[in-house]
Amino acid sequence: MFDLSGRVVLVTGASRGIGRAIALELGRAGADIAVHHRANAAAAESLRAALVHAGGDARVYSGDVSDPEAAARMVRAAGEWKGRLDGVVTSAGVYRGDLVEAVGRADFESVVRTDLEGTFRTVQSALPYLRKSLHPGVVTVSSVMGAHAGVGGAPYQAAKAGVEQLTRALALELAPRIRVNSVAPGFIRTDMNRGGHEDPAFHAAIVTATPLARWGDPDDIAPAVRYLLSLEADWVTGLVLGVDGGVTLR
Amino acid sequence: MSETPQFAGKVALVTGGSRGIGKAIVLALAAEGADVAFSYHKEGRAAREVGAAVERLGRRALALPSDAAQPEEADDLVQSTRLKLGRVDILVGNAGIGGPTGWEAVSLQAWRETLETNLVGPYSLVRAARPHFAPSGASVVFISSISGLLADPDSLAYSVAKAGLLSLTRSLALALAPSVRVNAVAPGWVRTDLTAKLHESPRTRESIQHTIPRGRWGEPDDVAAAVVFLASKMARFVTGETLVVDGGNSLRWTAGSGD
Repeated sequence: MFDLSGRVVLVTGASRGIGRAIALELGRAGADIAVHHRANAAAAESLRAALVHAGGDARVYSGDVSDPEAAARMVRAAGEWKGRLDGVVTSAGVYRGDLVEAVGRADFESVVRTDLEGTFRTVQSALPYLRKSLHPGVVTVSSVMGAHAGVGGAPYQAAKAGVEQLTRALALELAPRIRVNSVAPGFIRTDMNRGGHEDPAFHAAIVTATPLARWGDPDDIAPAVRYLLSLEADWVTGLVLGVDGGVTLR
Repeated sequence: MSETPQFAGKVALVTGGSRGIGKAIVLALAAEGADVAFSYHKEGRAAREVGAAVERLGRRALALPSDAAQPEEADDLVQSTRLKLGRVDILVGNAGIGGPTGWEAVSLQAWRETLETNLVGPYSLVRAARPHFAPSGASVVFISSISGLLADPDSLAYSVAKAGLLSLTRSLALALAPSVRVNAVAPGWVRTDLTAKLHESPRTRESIQHTIPRGRWGEPDDVAAAVVFLASKMARFVTGETLVVDGGNSLRWTAGSGD
């Protein structure tokens, strides 16, 4: 079950963290991967090599998804690779945890343009290639903070809430053919939030707050994306699936 | 990719496994390597056929007659499963009834029957199984409905029971963590015996189909795949979640708008 053999999937923000784990998992499931990165060519190349070594096909594409034109160019190149995209996973994102008074104009814009508009432009640019697929699917990446508030990072939280509604709106508008779903990770040990999980007090607080009593790993998120892209999830669309160890339950 | 069965050596107990969604769940779990015990009510012949299908997949099957309207029978189900199959790793609370039609004249007895079967039954199942869950961890999946997420005065008691089941999912997920994960699947319009009257009438079938963004009714296998995902290690960091499997039905701000 949950086989993705022969599928071509673009994973944005794949050079590290959750995006990288997703690319590896989808590759293990049989998919060919268009590996996107913004400014980490070495990491993207090492991921490509790992995917090819495991028997799959992979290519690297770069571009800043916060720039709509760059996003369109990158997606077009990835789409032309095999002439279609069966899946798009929008994992590219930035995080800023500033308190309200500290949020400058550029801080707000970088978060909203990358996390929200970048997701939108990536999917929008991919449509011609998704339409060439027999089983097209999109998975966006939200966060527990898309639906549950925390102190700090209000623009990030708003952008992720936007990603969730974008998921539902696109699911409806792109139906019946293209499915659009989202995963909402909890507290995950990645480079992006190293500041959090390397702080002993914060680390312990999250373990206590998470019913499954641990931080998540990128490898915990990736199988959910695999499920959502698979034929077995053919009747699932517009869903935001929390993968958070239960941290949002109370 | 790895084709290793996800549930090799594991034992699942599914309530209401002789037909419809429950039958698809039993077969999907067995296909992924689990031995499966399942309860059935009255339909002995259908249950024997499901059991035989499980055995053809090379797994052990155990068909247990039980009335889901009698929550105290949950203990017997769990005991029989342990006795015959040795353990319980996966619990699927699927048995349910459609309940009375409408909201204006729901009798006390109809309320009791609907709530006991669709809500107290799943709770009793977990209560009975809890002391016996495998120490390596276990997974519970309840089958709710989008009727539990949206307003549904046409099936008030059913809708309320299914909403309660989602609440039960969240509270038990918290209470049983970290060793046991508890999740729910909320199906939309799925072709089963329960909905036969609706999908067998061309007019009703099409008017419902029209409200489903994916443009088709669901099949029991759509729901079973979600159960396999949630019960498996693929969902190891997922608990307390409701996985809506409805072709996008619950997305619209009013059913049927936007056409």
